[in-house]
Amino acid sequence: MINDETLELHKFMQARRTLFCYSGPLSEDLLTSISNPVRQQLSESESDEGVAKRVFGVFVEQAQNIIRYATLRADTGEGVGTIAISVTEDDGFLIEAVNAIDSTKRTALESTLLELSMKDAKELRKMYKDRLRSGPPEGSKGAGLGFIEMARRVQRFEFEIADTENGPVFVYRGYVS
Amino acid sequence: MEQAATQRTPHIEISEAACRIVGECYPENIQEFSAPVMSSLRSLVPDSGAYRVEMELFYFNSSSAKFLFDFFEFFEEKAASGLAVKIKWNYRLDDDTMLEAGEDFAEDMESCEFELVGVEVPSEGESEAE
Repeated sequence: MINDETLELHKFMQARRTLFCYSGPLSEDLLTSISNPVRQQLSESESDEGVAKRVFGVFVEQAQNIIRYATLRADTGEGVGTIAISVTEDDGFLIEAVNAIDSTKRTALESTLLELSMKDAKELRKMYKDRLRSGPPEGSKGAGLGFIEMARRVQRFEFEIADTENGPVFVYRGYVS
Repeated sequence: MEQAATQRTPHIEISEAACRIVGECYPENIQEFSAPVMSSLRSLVPDSGAYRVEMELFYFNSSSAKFLFDFFEFFEEKAASGLAVKIKWNYRLDDDTMLEAGEDFAEDMESCEFELVGVEVPSEGESEAE
């Protein structure tokens, strides 16, 4: 008797209309390798190039967040996380990312995202520009613009910092349609 | 300087008269990508005369935005001290993201001439032809 988890996994992924899903150590090399197949999947299921580009843009920022900031690291040093793109009921896209975070960063992350979730497009555009001029905040390995960029490309996003036995885990869900 | 496009970096040409950047920009390592570009600009771009900059980006990530900011700031400083810089920011007519990005960079330009140019979406395959 085969363990039916495998079949359940298949059914679950299919029912969610999964276009792409990866869970494990993520590196820039891997992101390069998966970029083309992800884009191809997107262009096959979305005729509006602008929508496909926004989904891809959110996907790249999420992937780079995992690469740079996930606190669970593989033996090779790569950040470990889960990243997925699926089609929603209204034929839009859901881009999801999950990764472990440092408990000391929790409050700052929560307040950043809460602030972003309350801004409209115009305010986000201004925030992005201001951040670009002022340079990255302390502790950022990029330009400190990633979450603002994502907030600008999604219709809406949800986030949660869940407690697990191994520490806090960051969950992000962005919707593009 | 001439650098062919890769999957994640644009085609780049820098001479003493013009600079052209076309393609995608989400490099694996932004410092490794931007350092040689900025150093070519510093050694090749003259202090006086005229200079053309032509940009056509289809996508850039947030890390690359900082590079573009520094890139335009370099030209803004050159223009403020006497170089006549003309920048053309090409965006696809249906691409609001790249239009907005161009508008935001344009807003910071005082000494450079910055032109936003909407281009038709090319048919199959991005042609590099001129």
